[in-house]
Amino acid sequence: MNRTILHLDLDAFYCAVEEQRDPALRGQAFAVGGQPDQRGVVASCSYAARRFGVHSAMPMSRAVKLCPNLLIVSAHFKDYHHFSGLVMARLQDVTPMIEQISIDEAFMDVTGLRETGDILARRLQNQINSELGLSCSFGVAANMLVAKIANNMGKSEAKGDGPPNAIKVIPAGQEAEFLAPLPIRELWGVGPKSAEKLARMGIYTIGDLARQPEAGMTRLFGKNGTEMAQHARGIDLREVETERETKSISKEITFTHDVTDGDILRRTLRKMCDGVGWRLRTEKLRGTTVKVKLRWEDFTTLTRQITLNHPTDSDTEIYETALILFHQNWPKGRRVRLLGVGVSGFDVHEAQLELWGKPESPVKKVDSKLQNALDKLRDKFGEDIIQRGSDLGDEE
Amino acid sequence: MRVSVRQENLAKGLSIVGKAVENRPTLPVLSNILLSTEDARLKLAAMDMSLGMSITCWIGAKVDQPGAITLPSRTLADLVNNLSPERVDLLLDKATQTINVRCGATVSNIKGIDASEFPLIPENTQGDVVVSGQVLKEMISQTVFAAAKEDNRPILTGVYTEFNGNMMTMAAADGYRLAVRTTEIEQRFDKKVFLVIPARALAEVARIISDEDEEVSITLPGERDLVLFHMKNTNVSSQLLEGKFPDFGAIIPRSYNTSSVVYTSDLLRACKRAEIFARDAAGSAQLIVKPPKGPGEPGEVVLVGKSSERGDNTGMIDASVEGEPLETSFNVKYLIDALNVISDERVVLQSSGSANPGVLRPENRDDFVYIVMPMATQR
Repeated sequence: MNRTILHLDLDAFYCAVEEQRDPALRGQAFAVGGQPDQRGVVASCSYAARRFGVHSAMPMSRAVKLCPNLLIVSAHFKDYHHFSGLVMARLQDVTPMIEQISIDEAFMDVTGLRETGDILARRLQNQINSELGLSCSFGVAANMLVAKIANNMGKSEAKGDGPPNAIKVIPAGQEAEFLAPLPIRELWGVGPKSAEKLARMGIYTIGDLARQPEAGMTRLFGKNGTEMAQHARGIDLREVETERETKSISKEITFTHDVTDGDILRRTLRKMCDGVGWRLRTEKLRGTTVKVKLRWEDFTTLTRQITLNHPTDSDTEIYETALILFHQNWPKGRRVRLLGVGVSGFDVHEAQLELWGKPESPVKKVDSKLQNALDKLRDKFGEDIIQRGSDLGDEE
Repeated sequence: MRVSVRQENLAKGLSIVGKAVENRPTLPVLSNILLSTEDARLKLAAMDMSLGMSITCWIGAKVDQPGAITLPSRTLADLVNNLSPERVDLLLDKATQTINVRCGATVSNIKGIDASEFPLIPENTQGDVVVSGQVLKEMISQTVFAAAKEDNRPILTGVYTEFNGNMMTMAAADGYRLAVRTTEIEQRFDKKVFLVIPARALAEVARIISDEDEEVSITLPGERDLVLFHMKNTNVSSQLLEGKFPDFGAIIPRSYNTSSVVYTSDLLRACKRAEIFARDAAGSAQLIVKPPKGPGEPGEVVLVGKSSERGDNTGMIDASVEGEPLETSFNVKYLIDALNVISDERVVLQSSGSANPGVLRPENRDDFVYIVMPMATQR
């Protein structure tokens, strides 16, 4: 069955939000970013500024040269996140199959929904335009690669001086035909180096590339070559990943001065374990693998791990396991430059039952009560609101 | 001291006692092996203080002049392993505590430490119990693997060993599984005697017992908290573990809802295949027992190992099944461990449900039983 994938991109997003903060900016040539005398960079620029050749990621000093009347606005990330959240919420109303790529970009898999891709795109665009006052563009195709490229094309084809607010649909079956005339740099995974190599072979457009046998591409570019050859034919089997899974949660600290004192190291470890445990509980994760990282004064680094036979999110259990690793690997008195602890192995949801079903020890009970109380404080006031008594007294 | 021995004998002896040399001993002399003449034999001994284990081994020798010395284990073993299989002549220079080693065309000098600095090795030759060497070897191998590897509950790193009436029992558990093996012995104990022996020491005993050891005699703890195993040319002594071994009799289920008989090798291979994928899920593999659909039809045991990243495996084994259908999960490594030490053709697998322990035992035998707790899915 053909899939239907939407690619959404908010047009000049930071600038659009800034125009809502200050309507006087509308139509002006302005850029969001750092000051030119502080090595600032353009994070986003208005369409008026783009006409002068200004583009994002350009040093602000150069942007000002290109466009002497450029207004420089400093970024308000809080507002960007707020608006981004509002946009994503509207996408969520359509389907949970969403992969947010960045603050202003997302893929949606709308296969099998009642409305067709182009109607959905139109509806969402109207909604985002009218309810949020933001301009946005959509690419609609049977896979992620073509949807994204379609969106790029749609935007560049848009007429007028303002934001494109475009929608470009590539019907299923026409992927290769659509891609063929485009320059190969439009393809994912084709960087300047590969482009140069391909140019020497007389390959300039995606169509040129599509005519190459896949095996030859694999020989020349390895695994990447296989993928390039498939992409050039409009084939992309990747699926929309709804959630970027957390693989591990860890904390580490590089000491201002190397530490040799076991007590300080143990206290630091305890504090980091508490932090890791808290984050696990906030994200409702439990892991089976506890890892400790140590870097000596000569920058050699070692990581050692223990896999428990059950998943844990308990501060004390993480600490006790980390402490075993620490003691096994820290020769007393050795200078420690960096200390880290992490928990991973979240796809284990199985717990080994015990022969002598452990009656919860009174100490453990108190410990988990304490942990709950601390979590409530941290949730309310942030991670550093509370610390262990052993950490008081000799702040370094 | 002036002694001659065969290179092969010396190499073998050193490899046996080498297992009792500590990695990072507190006293320098403990990284050494004691060499001491005894009648027409050379005694080799090593002691691991941290484990409380010592191994002594006697090899045939031509003793021209008695004496004793301790030599660094690594240096000596590395050298002897690289000598040709010929006569090795050892000559001690007492003044410098250096031993001169000659073998064929090579001459070496190894600096040692005075034998008087070496701790006393327990050497009671009087055994209290005599057990068949092969039976003891099997008893140890059927229990020792189930002992805890880490010592957050030190007592579980040992094997509970009991003599009661005409029965000897060995049991080990790591909190998640339990292995119990019994055997009949000739001596009669009117009063129960029990001790907990470190699994590490027992593993060495099992390793040392050879076909030549028809009998092994065991010296039970007397004034000192020590147990001694006397093999033909080797002694192993070990300190005992202190503490109360948990009551395991009570957790051996007396009844079951499902019982399946399968070929041991079928189940072992199915477990090994499931384990390839179960690795990512803390070893958890699903075990499904399907009773026969009608009379005359076979039942089935199904093992499923799944990895969300790498794939899965499903293995179906013919089984004769009695009782209700069952779906449960076990750490498949725990099943493999036990199946590896069962030499019988068929095994019985019993369970009363996914929250109850599984029982594995050889068919038609009641001297070995293995209890393993299931894994439960958490969310």
